[in-house]
Amino acid sequence: MTKKGPNRIHGVISSLYSILFFLFLILSNIAAGTEDTTLQPLEFNRDIRPILAEKCFYCHGPDPNKREADLRLDQRQSALDAGAIDPSESLILERIDSSDSEYLMPPPDSNRHLSPSEKKTLSRWIQEGAPYQAHWSFVTPIQNDPPTIKNPSLKPWPRNPIDMFILAELEKIGLVPSPEADKETLIRRLYADLIGLPPSPKEIDEFLANQSPGAYEKLVDQLLASQHYGERMALAWLDAARFADSNGFQQDGDTWQWIWRDWVIEALNRDMPFDRFSIEQLAGDLLPDATQPQLIATAFNRNHLLNGEGGAIAEEQRFNNLFDRVDTTSTTWLGLTMACAQCHDHKYDPLTQADYYRLLHVFNQVPETGRPGRQSSRIRIAPPFLEVVTADQKKELSRLKQNMRQLEKKAKPIIDVAYEAWKSGLFSDGQAADGKDLPRSLTPLLRKPKDTQSDAEKKKIENGLRKFFDSKVRQSVTKNLSIVTEYEEAKQAHDAFSGDKIPRIMVMSDNKPRETRVLDRGDYLSPLGNALVFAPPATLPPLPETLPKNRLGLAKWLFLPEHPLTARVQVNRMWQHFFETGLVKTTEDMGVQSEYPRHLALLDWLAIEFQKKSWSQKSMHKLLVMSATYRQTSKINADHLTKDPENRLHGRASRFRMTAMVLRDWALDCSGLLNRTVGGPPVYPYQPDQIWESLAITKERDFTYPQSTGTDLYRRSIYTFWRRTVAPANMFDSANRRTCTVRLNQTCTPLHALTTLNDPTWVEAARSLAELCIASRKTLDEQIILAFRTVMSRQPTSSERAILADMYAHQQSHITIKSAHTLLGKDTRSTEKSKDPVALATLANVCLAILNLDEALTRE
Amino acid sequence: MHELFNENLKRVTRRQLFGSARQGIGLTALASLFQRDNDCTASVPGLVDLPHHAPLAKRMVMLWQGGGPSHVDLFDPKDALFKRSGENVPDSVRGTTRLSTMSSGYSKWPVVAPIKKFRRYGQCGMELSEMLPSIGNLADDLCLVRSLHTEAVNHAPGVTFFLTGSQVPGRPSLGAWLSYGLGCETEELPAFVVMTSADKAKSCGQLFFDYYWGSGFLPSRYQGVKFRNTGEPVPYLSNPPGISRAARRSLLNDLAVMNAKHLADYGDPEIDTRIASYEMAFQMQSSVPDLIDFSNEPKYILDRYGPDVHVKGSFAFNCLVARRLLERGTRFVQLMHAGWDQHSNLYSQLEVQCRDTQGPSAALVQDLKERGLLEDTLVAWGGEFGRTPFGQGDPVNPKGRDHFGKAFSWWLAGGGVKSGHVHGATDEYAWNVTSNPVHVHDMQATLMHLLGIDHTRLTYRYQGRQFRLTDVHGDIVAGILR
Repeated sequence: MTKKGPNRIHGVISSLYSILFFLFLILSNIAAGTEDTTLQPLEFNRDIRPILAEKCFYCHGPDPNKREADLRLDQRQSALDAGAIDPSESLILERIDSSDSEYLMPPPDSNRHLSPSEKKTLSRWIQEGAPYQAHWSFVTPIQNDPPTIKNPSLKPWPRNPIDMFILAELEKIGLVPSPEADKETLIRRLYADLIGLPPSPKEIDEFLANQSPGAYEKLVDQLLASQHYGERMALAWLDAARFADSNGFQQDGDTWQWIWRDWVIEALNRDMPFDRFSIEQLAGDLLPDATQPQLIATAFNRNHLLNGEGGAIAEEQRFNNLFDRVDTTSTTWLGLTMACAQCHDHKYDPLTQADYYRLLHVFNQVPETGRPGRQSSRIRIAPPFLEVVTADQKKELSRLKQNMRQLEKKAKPIIDVAYEAWKSGLFSDGQAADGKDLPRSLTPLLRKPKDTQSDAEKKKIENGLRKFFDSKVRQSVTKNLSIVTEYEEAKQAHDAFSGDKIPRIMVMSDNKPRETRVLDRGDYLSPLGNALVFAPPATLPPLPETLPKNRLGLAKWLFLPEHPLTARVQVNRMWQHFFETGLVKTTEDMGVQSEYPRHLALLDWLAIEFQKKSWSQKSMHKLLVMSATYRQTSKINADHLTKDPENRLHGRASRFRMTAMVLRDWALDCSGLLNRTVGGPPVYPYQPDQIWESLAITKERDFTYPQSTGTDLYRRSIYTFWRRTVAPANMFDSANRRTCTVRLNQTCTPLHALTTLNDPTWVEAARSLAELCIASRKTLDEQIILAFRTVMSRQPTSSERAILADMYAHQQSHITIKSAHTLLGKDTRSTEKSKDPVALATLANVCLAILNLDEALTRE
Repeated sequence: MHELFNENLKRVTRRQLFGSARQGIGLTALASLFQRDNDCTASVPGLVDLPHHAPLAKRMVMLWQGGGPSHVDLFDPKDALFKRSGENVPDSVRGTTRLSTMSSGYSKWPVVAPIKKFRRYGQCGMELSEMLPSIGNLADDLCLVRSLHTEAVNHAPGVTFFLTGSQVPGRPSLGAWLSYGLGCETEELPAFVVMTSADKAKSCGQLFFDYYWGSGFLPSRYQGVKFRNTGEPVPYLSNPPGISRAARRSLLNDLAVMNAKHLADYGDPEIDTRIASYEMAFQMQSSVPDLIDFSNEPKYILDRYGPDVHVKGSFAFNCLVARRLLERGTRFVQLMHAGWDQHSNLYSQLEVQCRDTQGPSAALVQDLKERGLLEDTLVAWGGEFGRTPFGQGDPVNPKGRDHFGKAFSWWLAGGGVKSGHVHGATDEYAWNVTSNPVHVHDMQATLMHLLGIDHTRLTYRYQGRQFRLTDVHGDIVAGILR
């Protein structure tokens, strides 16, 4: 039944032998590691807290509801009082070494157990007096001087303080930095990381030719000034902001949130300081004399899912959105997993359930119901929203409105007469209450004798009937009256334009004051206790009295100089961007459960530096890419794999597959197809036929994919319409854009290979690249070199040229004139096709292979 | 020594490490050597410590019935509902049940009698609607659960809850957890495949969102691969027009040579994985079309699934593809059928749904049984909730039923569950569970248990917390285990 896997291209000789070899490496590593810890003084945050957090806090941590035996180990005094850490008769040591499974800690059925070395460490710590430290990320960072370099031969290596921190740790494990990558690798790396587009052969030539010491910095400055920098840097922010172009759920209405996306790109391009960038997105509406862009910025907190399903309980959905705002805000700015405190006090971090709802309070003032409303068959959004109208749109709308009003004047008297006639018919038999299909809400009122109806009830009846008449009856009564028909048409034209064409971006507002209470187990129907107002968790700096207890207060509080998290969280994510893995690997969590950063001193140095540079993101990006650490080669040697296989100490540059969005842009730009327009409404590039067919199961709206035409097919990936219910098929490994994501998982599956081999986007890019090469180079060899260099930013070696020439010959033998025409398609009208279609088709195939080389897909 | 190392490096990938470790040389340390969050492996390996116990089922097919099949009409016969048609459901029964906003404002709750009679089927005498004769024929192989309950009142949250353990989208789905934990038995087909279908009249309106088979915070390779109903089953499966299979084979050979050269230069094991993934892509290009080519199925088998088996995208077609996938080593097949949301067309549509889906469902079970696969294949049939015992719409003459999560029914078959067995019961209005309640998390825990997984131990660290399918809940339903 199950077939064996395919034969590997290059065979495996002896995996057993290899495994024994690896075993040896691992064991020698473990031995080295043990030796290390006995030499160093213990540090609570690095050595002890991770053990306690992972193995003990679940039952003996901050959450009082879950706490067993009234024993709390996250606070020293409590642990002392309970006799847990008394060196002479420590309860901990007694319990963790017990041979009685009833007495043993952690309990065997908890799926947690302590290793011998963890027990040893705990014992040593208790013998040494069990000192505690506040969790590192809750303590305000300080900027220590970079360590000094011990090895004189490496003294020239550092280019800035980052490198001195890196070098000091490398020295500890006996690794030396890798050599600087060659210039071609560097230019490609910088382009990929800073603008996400390939350097052109001409740009590469210029960089190679510039031998001055400032050439690298000049290139960095150019890229930072590029308008494409904002597009590249926005990608991660959009993932964090779970940005999409539709609501999700049934009907999946489209939104206008792309206006916010353009705000982000522009702000990044202008290097808006991160504090302002944040304050405007969190609370732009609460700033004095808020401008339109400041209001648009607040869409950050309206980019959430909206459930408009029939029967959905609006208040429940509203709370889902509130929870999402709390989670997104705390992950993005605080690197804290507040979500864990929605139902109970946090199990690990000193965050109480009340803290959670105090934070939720600032988002709970929005005049919203939790339900999106229909604007047109396409657009569904929920107030509050901001109309962002152009002058032309304003003019057109007023023209349509005027036309409608004029016709209404003529039509209204006629409609009124029809209404009265219908109503008197309704009441004539005295059985109005049983009137067919009348709204159920009116039935009891209509049953009441007229003289017992209150004025309010009469009004309700009148309004209800009129509404019913207008929506259900009127058309059948007045369909033959041309003046009414004309009015109806004018009204329809007006409503359609207003609902479908006037951009309305969902933004924040505090115009609906509400009280906020703790929800028992996070259930919106079970509020508990007194109303809460915003206050930060006790572990973090208090809110200064000068700051309001609302979103603006929250936003400004994040940027208090003593705030321990905001800057660290951001520089950690910057590090992730340029070095693949954050200094704290879990960029979404810097709480107690996160790893202790080996490079804490560097993280803190960067955090302070960010503030010293007035929160300028461009300055920080420049600092990172100017470092010698960044400029190393990414080649891996045996030393690396034995001493630092994960490259956490950065003895080499990281090497990783570029994201699908960048890969698509790369392929399009190499082939000259990319349309580099910045900003604007989303576009609809190639997707598999009927990509949205699964949504089209009701008649409520047309879910035909409105594929773009012309150069809109080739816009950058960031502008591709993102439908939450069916994401673009060729954007593999992307964030789901439903919940806040600050760290992407990269995988490698056959489906990705199929995409870059067969997606029309790549096939067309390959064809177009082949045309470019044939048009500008005479010989086949030159054409192949150009194609390779355009994608890889380097010259192929002679052996690579030989393989590619073979590849060309092999492909040529498979291609006939007929298959060439099929491959090139009827849309290709270039002269190269008319000259020699087989040559073009063959080179197109080779170009497709080049675009699929591991190196082409990888940022090295 | 370094040369020796390099030589080995070229030959050992993480995948091979895993593979060998599973053969018994295993050391978790080996696996963790290359454990990176963005690790890159072409095939899907399982975790080294799984399964946690000997599995009763090695694979599973979920026949998801979207919209909320009416337990009242199909699975849970109540004399009282037949007798008291039109009478109000008493307050004592209704209690504080949370209903959807379509019916929560009602002042009357008129009982609607089941639209058809019930019959006893099989030697076990299981009572099911007479609209389900083919399912009934298999009664002695089925385990009927009448005591499910959920908190969800609406479709998307309800489906998301059942398939991901949370009502809010974003968590890994059951199939993603299974392929993450157990890996795949085949390299030519995905470990987790999803297929969708809808009722022909498009009367149901239920959409299937990709988070129903998403990987949440697990690496995206574990998400379900949805076979499309139009065009190619897998996007970008076919070579571009004008490129033959032979030309592509040759191209990939040369591509691999180039990549191997680069591997020698850079020493990054991920390059090896990339080479393997391209090779697997090539294999999939033939194995997937082969999968949906029914030409070698005998006529009596095709007849068993009914005439719709020839209609791509129908439930019958999907059921047969499901069997073929399970035979070929796919771990988890999730069929999703939209058709059971009878708010206003109970009398016209429910029977149609039964007719269109019960035959193919039964045929799949029968087929698996005849091939000896039912022994270790778990089949589950059910939806996100049941339907209200009272009528929706005109209180005098209601024509439908609203969503109802307080009690509903599923049936299971095969891999480790009792056969000819009914588990749990509800009160005389089929409203409240009266014995052996099975919460959504309990069902999830049980399905995982059957597949050899301890639901409390299959966890993934995300945002500082060990997440699992069942959140912090879930008890194994011992009463349905064989």
